[in-house]
Amino acid sequence: MIDRLPLPAQFDRLIIVGGVAVGLVMTPILFVLLALLIGDQITAAELVFWLAFTVIVAGASGTVLLNNIVHAALSLIATLLGVAAVYLLLATEFIALVQILVYGGGVVILLIFGLMMTNAQDDPVVTDGSQKPFAAIVGVLLAGVFLAAVIDAEWGSETMTVVPFRDFGARLFRDFIVPVIIVGVLLDIALSGAIVNARASRIEDVDADETTSEASS
Amino acid sequence: MIPIENFLILSSLLFAMGLYGVLARRSAILILMSIELMLAAVSINFIAFATYLDGEAFSGLVFALFVITVAAAEVGLALGIVLRLFRERRTAYVDAADSLKW
Repeated sequence: MIDRLPLPAQFDRLIIVGGVAVGLVMTPILFVLLALLIGDQITAAELVFWLAFTVIVAGASGTVLLNNIVHAALSLIATLLGVAAVYLLLATEFIALVQILVYGGGVVILLIFGLMMTNAQDDPVVTDGSQKPFAAIVGVLLAGVFLAAVIDAEWGSETMTVVPFRDFGARLFRDFIVPVIIVGVLLDIALSGAIVNARASRIEDVDADETTSEASS
Repeated sequence: MIPIENFLILSSLLFAMGLYGVLARRSAILILMSIELMLAAVSINFIAFATYLDGEAFSGLVFALFVITVAAAEVGLALGIVLRLFRERRTAYVDAADSLKW
């Protein structure tokens, strides 16, 4: 049916179908949450939390389960924006902004460039000893252990402490100046290493081409 | 106020999903994406503990900031390595990097 819709050819039909499915799933959840909000069962913060929870879990499932690698990258963006919403709920607006800037704007774009430069195909069909069942068992076991520990534990008095924007920067550069410098040096080394790694092989390619041409001549 | 358990349950699920992705995927770039999920789960834990349980609410925030910085550095470096692997082996699957296996 979707093939016969009058859409431009460049519209990715899987994205359309996926968007419709996400809408169909999210709308009842939104209505249930709104009903609970109006009935004073949950507060507005909890409504936002459960919406972010749904987005994060659905996006993470898409990231690890989708076979199309670009769709996985798009779900990763949704997940990281949901994580930014959770940071906002925890009253740390600065880190939420950094999350959106660095992840949504930087890391994911870098990953998509990486995909484009390595013609990464979709996950191949593995014939010999696929590790997926093993991975699923490990994931479920780890989630079970974590959930049991979290639910069982006593978390003491819960009071929200909010650090003002200005204090955050002042204390970061007064009390944590040595870690900041170390992280700066680490970034410098890592990015220099990235440049060296991405460039060096080109020189080797030229050398290899020369050797082969000499050998052939 | 949202109880802290909710945030911890969310981050547990996110971490387990990221671990599944790291173990199940073969393309190096998809493995990097799953590592990003795990790092995001750890950051949620840091910030939740800092905001709810630490009276000063500061060390956890700084650690979350450093996690984000180190993740950016890691993605840059790892993509350099993936590009190199692709030039050497014409593929980005981690199965192809088996020179140290005997």
